[in-house]
Amino acid sequence: MTQLFYPLTPGAALPGDWFPGKIPLNVIAGENTVIDSSFCFKHFFSTAPTGLRVGSHVTIWRTSLAADAGAVIEIGDYCYLANASLVCTERISIGSYVMIAGGVTIADSDFHPIGPAGRIADTVALSGRGDRSLRPPIEVRPVVIEDGVWIGWNATILKGVRVGEGAVVAPGALVIRDVPAGAHVAGNPARPVEGTT
Amino acid sequence: MSDAPFQLEYDWYDRGLPANIHVGRDVYIDTAYGFAPFRSEQTPGLVLGDASGAYDRATFMVGPRGTISVGEYTVLNGTYLVANDRITIGSHCLLAWGSVLTDTWIVQASPSVRRAVLRAAASDPGRHLGAAEPPRPVTLEDNVWIGFDSVVLPGVTLGRGAIVGCKTIVTADVAPYDVVVGDPMRIVRRLDADDTREARERALRECSRP
Repeated sequence: MTQLFYPLTPGAALPGDWFPGKIPLNVIAGENTVIDSSFCFKHFFSTAPTGLRVGSHVTIWRTSLAADAGAVIEIGDYCYLANASLVCTERISIGSYVMIAGGVTIADSDFHPIGPAGRIADTVALSGRGDRSLRPPIEVRPVVIEDGVWIGWNATILKGVRVGEGAVVAPGALVIRDVPAGAHVAGNPARPVEGTT
Repeated sequence: MSDAPFQLEYDWYDRGLPANIHVGRDVYIDTAYGFAPFRSEQTPGLVLGDASGAYDRATFMVGPRGTISVGEYTVLNGTYLVANDRITIGSHCLLAWGSVLTDTWIVQASPSVRRAVLRAAASDPGRHLGAAEPPRPVTLEDNVWIGFDSVVLPGVTLGRGAIVGCKTIVTADVAPYDVVVGDPMRIVRRLDADDTREARERALRECSRP
Protein backbone atom coordinates (compact mmCIF):
# COMPACT_ATOMS: atom_id res chain seq x y z
CA MET A 1 0.00 0.00 0.00
CA THR A 2 1.24 3.51 -0.76
CA GLN A 3 2.33 5.35 2.31
CA LEU A 4 0.16 8.46 2.63
CA PHE A 5 1.64 10.06 5.73
CA TYR A 6 5.09 10.60 7.17
CA PRO A 7 6.20 11.73 10.62
CA LEU A 8 6.54 15.53 10.72
CA THR A 9 10.29 15.73 11.26
CA PRO A 10 12.10 19.09 11.22
CA GLY A 11 14.65 19.36 8.41
CA ALA A 12 13.63 16.06 6.82
CA ALA A 13 13.03 15.28 3.16
CA LEU A 14 10.10 12.83 3.22
CA PRO A 15 10.77 9.52 1.44
CA GLY A 16 8.58 9.24 -1.66
CA ASP A 17 7.44 12.88 -1.45
CA TRP A 18 6.28 14.07 -4.89
CA PHE A 19 7.34 17.65 -4.05
CA PRO A 20 11.09 18.27 -3.91
CA GLY A 21 11.05 20.15 -0.61
CA LYS A 22 12.01 19.63 3.02
CA ILE A 23 10.29 20.17 6.34
CA PRO A 24 11.65 23.51 7.67
CA LEU A 25 14.03 23.41 10.62
CA ASN A 26 12.07 25.89 12.76
CA VAL A 27 9.28 23.35 13.35
CA ILE A 28 8.57 21.52 16.62
CA ALA A 29 6.21 18.52 16.44
CA GLY A 30 5.10 15.99 19.06
CA GLU A 31 4.90 12.23 18.73
CA ASN A 32 2.72 10.54 16.14
CA THR A 33 2.12 13.80 14.27
CA VAL A 34 2.12 13.24 10.50
CA ILE A 35 2.01 15.13 7.20
CA ASP A 36 1.54 14.00 3.58
CA SER A 37 4.02 16.22 1.73
CA SER A 38 6.53 19.02 2.16
CA PHE A 39 4.32 20.88 -0.36
CA CYS A 40 2.36 22.03 2.73
CA PHE A 41 5.35 24.33 3.42
CA LYS A 42 5.63 25.85 -0.09
CA HIS A 43 4.56 29.26 1.27
CA PHE A 44 6.15 28.89 4.70
CA PHE A 45 8.65 31.77 5.03
CA SER A 46 8.68 32.13 8.82
CA THR A 47 12.08 32.93 10.26
CA ALA A 48 10.80 32.84 13.86
CA PRO A 49 12.83 30.52 16.14
CA THR A 50 9.77 28.24 16.14
CA GLY A 51 7.55 29.13 13.19
CA LEU A 52 5.29 26.10 13.61
CA ARG A 53 4.64 24.30 16.87
CA VAL A 54 2.43 21.19 16.63
CA GLY A 55 1.40 18.84 19.43
CA SER A 56 1.08 15.07 19.29
CA HIS A 57 -1.22 12.80 17.25
CA VAL A 58 -1.99 15.55 14.70
CA THR A 59 -2.78 14.84 11.04
CA ILE A 60 -1.89 17.46 8.40
CA TRP A 61 -3.03 16.60 4.87
CA ARG A 62 -2.73 18.90 1.82
CA THR A 63 -2.82 21.96 4.01
CA SER A 64 -1.09 25.19 3.09
CA LEU A 65 0.91 26.51 6.02
CA ALA A 66 1.55 29.98 4.59
CA ALA A 67 3.62 32.01 7.02
CA ASP A 68 5.27 35.42 6.64
CA ALA A 69 8.71 36.14 8.10
CA GLY A 70 7.62 36.80 11.69
CA ALA A 71 4.70 34.38 11.76
CA VAL A 72 4.03 31.73 14.40
CA ILE A 73 1.45 28.96 13.91
CA GLU A 74 0.51 26.88 16.96
CA ILE A 75 -1.54 23.66 16.80
CA GLY A 76 -2.46 21.49 19.82
CA ASP A 77 -2.92 17.72 20.11
CA TYR A 78 -5.19 15.38 18.13
CA CYS A 79 -6.09 17.99 15.48
CA TYR A 80 -7.02 17.05 11.91
CA LEU A 81 -6.33 19.53 9.09
CA ALA A 82 -7.52 18.42 5.63
CA ASN A 83 -6.93 20.63 2.57
CA ALA A 84 -7.10 23.86 4.56
CA SER A 85 -5.13 27.12 4.23
CA LEU A 86 -3.59 28.85 7.23
CA VAL A 87 -2.40 32.28 6.08
CA CYS A 88 -0.38 33.75 8.91
CA THR A 89 1.41 37.08 9.24
CA GLU A 90 1.70 37.17 13.05
CA ARG A 91 -0.01 34.35 14.98
CA ILE A 92 -2.66 31.69 14.46
CA SER A 93 -3.28 29.51 17.54
CA ILE A 94 -5.32 26.32 17.28
CA GLY A 95 -6.20 24.27 20.38
CA SER A 96 -6.56 20.52 20.70
CA TYR A 97 -9.15 18.20 19.15
CA VAL A 98 -9.90 20.74 16.40
CA MET A 99 -11.23 19.43 13.08
CA ILE A 100 -10.65 21.60 10.02
CA ALA A 101 -12.33 20.47 6.79
CA GLY A 102 -11.44 21.00 3.12
CA GLY A 103 -11.31 24.46 1.60
CA VAL A 104 -11.15 26.22 4.95
CA THR A 105 -9.14 29.46 5.14
CA ILE A 106 -7.89 30.95 8.41
CA ALA A 107 -6.13 34.32 8.02
CA ASP A 108 -4.81 36.81 10.58
CA SER A 109 -4.42 39.78 8.20
CA ASP A 110 -6.23 41.73 5.48
CA PHE A 111 -3.48 40.83 2.93
CA HIS A 112 -3.55 44.39 1.48
CA PRO A 113 -4.17 47.95 2.76
CA ILE A 114 -7.79 49.13 2.80
CA GLY A 115 -7.15 52.71 1.57
CA PRO A 116 -7.06 53.24 -2.22
CA ALA A 117 -3.63 54.97 -2.20
CA GLY A 118 -2.17 52.18 -0.08
CA ARG A 119 -3.42 49.61 -2.55
CA ILE A 120 -1.83 51.47 -5.49
CA ALA A 121 1.49 51.28 -3.63
CA ASP A 122 0.93 47.58 -2.85
CA THR A 123 0.31 46.64 -6.49
CA VAL A 124 3.56 48.36 -7.45
CA ALA A 125 5.57 46.70 -4.65
CA LEU A 126 4.11 43.27 -5.57
CA SER A 127 4.73 43.64 -9.31
CA GLY A 128 7.66 42.35 -11.31
CA ARG A 129 9.16 45.85 -11.06
CA GLY A 130 8.55 46.22 -7.35
CA ASP A 131 10.28 45.41 -4.08
CA ARG A 132 8.13 43.37 -1.67
CA SER A 133 10.05 44.73 1.30
CA LEU A 134 8.54 48.13 0.45
CA ARG A 135 4.91 47.01 0.83
CA PRO A 136 2.76 49.45 2.84
CA PRO A 137 1.55 48.48 6.35
CA ILE A 138 -1.33 45.98 6.55
CA GLU A 139 -3.63 45.43 9.52
CA VAL A 140 -2.91 42.19 11.40
CA ARG A 141 -4.79 40.64 14.35
CA PRO A 142 -4.08 37.11 15.63
CA VAL A 143 -6.68 34.33 15.40
CA VAL A 144 -7.45 31.86 18.21
CA ILE A 145 -9.36 28.59 17.71
CA GLU A 146 -10.05 26.98 21.09
CA ASP A 147 -10.26 23.27 21.91
CA GLY A 148 -12.83 21.00 20.35
CA VAL A 149 -13.95 23.31 17.53
CA TRP A 150 -15.29 21.90 14.27
CA ILE A 151 -14.85 24.01 11.11
CA GLY A 152 -16.85 22.85 8.08
CA TRP A 153 -16.01 22.79 4.38
CA ASN A 154 -15.03 26.10 2.74
CA ALA A 155 -15.62 28.09 5.91
CA THR A 156 -13.44 31.14 6.46
CA ILE A 157 -12.14 32.62 9.72
CA LEU A 158 -10.80 36.17 9.41
CA LYS A 159 -8.37 38.23 11.45
CA GLY A 160 -8.87 38.92 15.15
CA VAL A 161 -11.49 36.20 15.62
CA ARG A 162 -11.60 33.88 18.65
CA VAL A 163 -13.70 30.75 18.15
CA GLY A 164 -14.73 29.49 21.59
CA GLU A 165 -14.37 25.97 22.92
CA GLY A 166 -16.54 23.34 21.27
CA ALA A 167 -18.10 25.73 18.73
CA VAL A 168 -19.30 24.59 15.31
CA VAL A 169 -18.64 26.70 12.20
CA ALA A 170 -20.96 25.51 9.42
CA PRO A 171 -19.69 24.84 5.89
CA GLY A 172 -19.28 28.04 3.85
CA ALA A 173 -19.56 30.35 6.86
CA LEU A 174 -17.56 33.60 6.87
CA VAL A 175 -16.61 34.33 10.48
CA ILE A 176 -15.69 37.95 11.21
CA ARG A 177 -16.63 38.18 14.91
CA ASP A 178 -15.88 36.07 17.96
CA VAL A 179 -17.89 32.87 18.30
CA PRO A 180 -18.94 32.04 21.88
CA ALA A 181 -18.05 28.64 23.32
CA GLY A 182 -20.49 25.97 22.21
CA ALA A 183 -22.18 28.15 19.58
CA HIS A 184 -23.14 27.03 16.07
CA VAL A 185 -22.70 29.70 13.38
CA ALA A 186 -23.44 29.81 9.64
CA GLY A 187 -23.69 32.22 6.69
CA ASN A 188 -21.89 35.28 5.28
CA PRO A 189 -21.37 37.01 7.61
CA ALA A 190 -21.70 34.13 10.05
CA ARG A 191 -24.56 34.37 12.55
CA PRO A 192 -25.73 31.99 15.28
CA VAL A 193 -28.05 29.29 13.99
CA GLU A 194 -31.44 29.38 15.72
CA GLY A 195 -31.97 26.85 18.47
CA THR A 196 -28.30 26.86 19.47
CA THR A 197 -26.50 28.95 22.01
CA MET B 1 3.05 40.10 -30.02
CA SER B 2 4.46 36.86 -31.40
CA ASP B 3 2.77 34.95 -34.19
CA ALA B 4 3.09 31.47 -32.67
CA PRO B 5 2.51 29.95 -29.23
CA PHE B 6 5.40 30.73 -26.95
CA GLN B 7 6.77 28.74 -24.07
CA LEU B 8 7.73 30.21 -20.70
CA GLU B 9 11.13 28.73 -19.98
CA TYR B 10 10.27 27.82 -16.37
CA ASP B 11 6.83 26.36 -17.13
CA TRP B 12 5.91 22.74 -16.29
CA TYR B 13 3.04 22.94 -18.82
CA ASP B 14 4.47 22.46 -22.28
CA ARG B 15 1.77 23.77 -24.63
CA GLY B 16 2.84 27.38 -24.44
CA LEU B 17 0.92 30.64 -24.43
CA PRO B 18 -1.57 31.44 -27.22
CA ALA B 19 -0.23 33.52 -30.11
CA ASN B 20 -3.07 36.08 -30.05
CA ILE B 21 -2.31 37.62 -26.69
CA HIS B 22 -0.41 40.79 -25.99
CA VAL B 23 1.86 40.61 -22.97
CA GLY B 24 3.30 43.92 -21.76
CA ARG B 25 6.72 44.53 -20.28
CA ASP B 26 7.64 43.01 -16.88
CA VAL B 27 4.54 40.80 -16.83
CA TYR B 28 4.71 37.61 -14.76
CA ILE B 29 2.74 34.49 -15.78
CA ASP B 30 3.02 31.45 -13.47
CA THR B 31 2.04 28.88 -16.08
CA ALA B 32 0.45 28.62 -19.52
CA TYR B 33 -1.85 25.99 -17.98
CA GLY B 34 -4.27 28.84 -17.21
CA PHE B 35 -4.63 29.34 -20.97
CA ALA B 36 -5.70 25.77 -21.72
CA PRO B 37 -9.37 26.94 -22.00
CA PHE B 38 -8.44 30.09 -23.99
CA ARG B 39 -10.21 29.84 -27.38
CA SER B 40 -10.46 33.49 -28.38
CA GLU B 41 -10.22 34.07 -32.13
CA GLN B 42 -9.90 37.82 -31.68
CA THR B 43 -6.67 39.78 -32.17
CA PRO B 44 -5.65 40.37 -29.51
CA GLY B 45 -7.86 38.10 -27.44
CA LEU B 46 -6.12 39.22 -24.27
CA VAL B 47 -3.98 42.18 -23.25
CA LEU B 48 -1.91 42.00 -20.07
CA GLY B 49 -0.65 45.49 -19.17
CA ASP B 50 2.90 46.29 -18.11
CA ALA B 51 3.99 44.79 -14.74
CA SER B 52 0.71 42.93 -14.28
CA GLY B 53 0.76 39.29 -13.18
CA ALA B 54 -1.22 36.05 -13.60
CA TYR B 55 -0.26 34.02 -10.55
CA ASP B 56 -0.97 30.48 -9.40
CA ARG B 57 -4.18 29.12 -10.98
CA ALA B 58 -5.26 32.29 -12.81
CA THR B 59 -7.40 30.89 -15.63
CA PHE B 60 -8.63 32.49 -18.85
CA MET B 61 -11.82 30.78 -20.06
CA VAL B 62 -12.39 32.79 -23.22
CA GLY B 63 -14.76 31.85 -26.04
CA PRO B 64 -14.08 32.48 -29.76
CA ARG B 65 -15.61 36.00 -29.67
CA GLY B 66 -14.36 36.89 -26.20
CA THR B 67 -11.71 39.44 -25.27
CA ILE B 68 -10.09 40.48 -22.00
CA SER B 69 -7.98 43.50 -21.20
CA VAL B 70 -5.98 43.91 -17.99
CA GLY B 71 -4.31 47.16 -16.95
CA GLU B 72 -0.86 47.92 -15.55
CA TYR B 73 0.28 46.52 -12.18
CA THR B 74 -2.90 44.46 -11.79
CA VAL B 75 -2.61 41.23 -9.78
CA LEU B 76 -4.62 38.19 -10.97
CA ASN B 77 -3.89 35.75 -8.14
CA GLY B 78 -5.71 32.52 -8.91
CA THR B 79 -8.61 34.34 -10.55
CA TYR B 80 -11.03 32.73 -13.00
CA LEU B 81 -12.06 34.95 -15.91
CA VAL B 82 -14.95 33.77 -18.12
CA ALA B 83 -15.37 35.94 -21.23
CA ASN B 84 -17.58 35.33 -24.24
CA ASP B 85 -17.94 39.05 -24.93
CA ARG B 86 -15.63 41.33 -22.95
CA ILE B 87 -14.02 41.68 -19.54
CA THR B 88 -12.20 44.95 -18.90
CA ILE B 89 -9.97 45.28 -15.82
CA GLY B 90 -8.23 48.55 -15.00
CA SER B 91 -4.80 49.25 -13.53
CA HIS B 92 -3.66 48.51 -9.95
CA CYS B 93 -6.50 46.04 -9.34
CA LEU B 94 -6.09 43.16 -6.85
CA LEU B 95 -8.02 39.95 -7.59
CA ALA B 96 -7.65 37.20 -5.00
CA TRP B 97 -7.71 33.42 -5.25
CA GLY B 98 -10.91 31.66 -6.21
CA SER B 99 -12.53 34.89 -7.38
CA VAL B 100 -14.58 34.65 -10.56
CA LEU B 101 -15.46 37.34 -13.10
CA THR B 102 -17.96 36.09 -15.67
CA ASP B 103 -19.77 37.85 -18.48
CA THR B 104 -21.85 34.72 -19.13
CA TRP B 105 -24.39 33.04 -16.91
CA ILE B 106 -26.75 30.17 -17.58
CA VAL B 107 -28.31 29.65 -14.16
CA GLN B 108 -31.38 31.81 -14.72
CA ALA B 109 -32.39 29.98 -17.89
CA SER B 110 -35.23 27.46 -17.74
CA PRO B 111 -34.56 23.74 -17.19
CA SER B 112 -35.40 23.04 -20.83
CA VAL B 113 -32.80 25.57 -22.02
CA ARG B 114 -30.22 24.03 -19.67
CA ARG B 115 -31.05 20.57 -21.03
CA ALA B 116 -30.48 21.82 -24.57
CA VAL B 117 -27.15 23.37 -23.58
CA LEU B 118 -26.02 20.11 -21.95
CA ARG B 119 -27.15 18.03 -24.94
CA ALA B 120 -25.20 20.30 -27.29
CA ALA B 121 -22.11 20.05 -25.07
CA ALA B 122 -22.37 16.24 -25.02
CA SER B 123 -22.07 16.11 -28.81
CA ASP B 124 -19.26 18.68 -29.01
CA PRO B 125 -15.76 17.16 -29.17
CA GLY B 126 -14.39 19.87 -26.84
CA ARG B 127 -17.40 19.55 -24.50
CA HIS B 128 -17.82 23.32 -24.51
CA LEU B 129 -20.89 24.63 -22.69
CA GLY B 130 -22.68 27.19 -24.87
CA ALA B 131 -24.21 30.30 -23.36
CA ALA B 132 -27.96 30.13 -22.75
CA GLU B 133 -28.31 33.89 -22.80
CA PRO B 134 -26.21 36.62 -24.44
CA PRO B 135 -23.10 37.59 -22.49
CA ARG B 136 -22.97 41.02 -20.86
CA PRO B 137 -19.58 42.74 -20.39
CA VAL B 138 -17.97 43.06 -16.98
CA THR B 139 -15.90 46.14 -16.15
CA LEU B 140 -13.53 46.86 -13.27
CA GLU B 141 -12.27 50.43 -13.17
CA ASP B 142 -8.80 51.20 -11.77
CA ASN B 143 -7.70 50.11 -8.27
CA VAL B 144 -10.54 47.69 -7.53
CA TRP B 145 -9.89 44.91 -5.00
CA ILE B 146 -11.86 41.65 -5.24
CA GLY B 147 -11.57 39.42 -2.16
CA PHE B 148 -11.08 35.66 -2.36
CA ASP B 149 -13.88 33.34 -3.52
CA SER B 150 -16.04 36.28 -4.65
CA VAL B 151 -18.11 36.08 -7.81
CA VAL B 152 -18.80 39.03 -10.11
CA LEU B 153 -21.81 38.32 -12.35
CA PRO B 154 -22.51 39.45 -15.96
CA GLY B 155 -23.19 43.11 -16.73
CA VAL B 156 -21.60 44.44 -13.55
CA THR B 157 -19.37 47.53 -13.39
CA LEU B 158 -17.21 48.15 -10.31
CA GLY B 159 -16.19 51.77 -9.79
CA ARG B 160 -12.67 52.99 -9.15
CA GLY B 161 -11.16 52.13 -5.76
CA ALA B 162 -14.04 49.84 -4.72
CA ILE B 163 -13.49 46.80 -2.48
CA VAL B 164 -15.46 43.55 -2.69
CA GLY B 165 -15.08 41.53 0.52
CA CYS B 166 -14.28 37.84 0.36
CA LYS B 167 -17.00 35.38 -0.66
CA THR B 168 -19.28 38.18 -1.85
CA ILE B 169 -21.69 37.63 -4.75
CA VAL B 170 -21.73 40.83 -6.82
CA THR B 171 -25.05 41.09 -8.63
CA ALA B 172 -25.21 44.87 -9.19
CA ASP B 173 -22.92 47.78 -10.00
CA VAL B 174 -20.70 49.06 -7.18
CA ALA B 175 -20.07 52.81 -6.92
CA PRO B 176 -16.49 54.15 -6.79
CA TYR B 177 -14.80 53.72 -3.37
CA ASP B 178 -17.68 51.69 -1.91
CA VAL B 179 -16.88 48.59 0.17
CA VAL B 180 -19.39 45.77 -0.38
CA VAL B 181 -19.60 42.41 1.41
CA GLY B 182 -21.79 39.37 1.82
CA ASP B 183 -24.49 37.43 0.10
CA PRO B 184 -26.80 39.21 -0.39
CA MET B 185 -24.29 41.98 -0.96
CA ARG B 186 -24.51 45.14 1.14
CA ILE B 187 -22.53 48.39 1.33
CA VAL B 188 -20.60 48.68 4.59
CA ARG B 189 -18.32 51.64 4.01
CA ARG B 190 -17.23 54.40 1.66
CA LEU B 191 -13.50 55.02 1.37
CA ASP B 192 -11.69 58.33 1.00
CA ALA B 193 -10.58 58.84 -2.60
CA ASP B 194 -6.93 59.23 -1.66
CA ASP B 195 -5.55 57.43 -4.74
CA THR B 196 -4.54 60.66 -6.46
CA ARG B 197 -2.12 61.06 -9.35
CA GLU B 198 0.48 62.18 -6.80
CA ALA B 199 -0.13 59.03 -4.70
CA ARG B 200 0.45 56.88 -7.78
CA GLU B 201 3.62 58.71 -8.76
CA ARG B 202 4.92 58.38 -5.20
CA ALA B 203 4.11 54.63 -5.19
CA LEU B 204 5.92 54.11 -8.51
CA ARG B 205 8.91 56.00 -7.13
CA GLU B 206 9.05 54.43 -3.68
CA CYS B 207 7.88 50.83 -4.17
CA SER B 208 9.78 49.92 -7.37
CA ARG B 209 13.18 48.30 -7.51
CA PRO B 210 15.93 50.83 -8.12
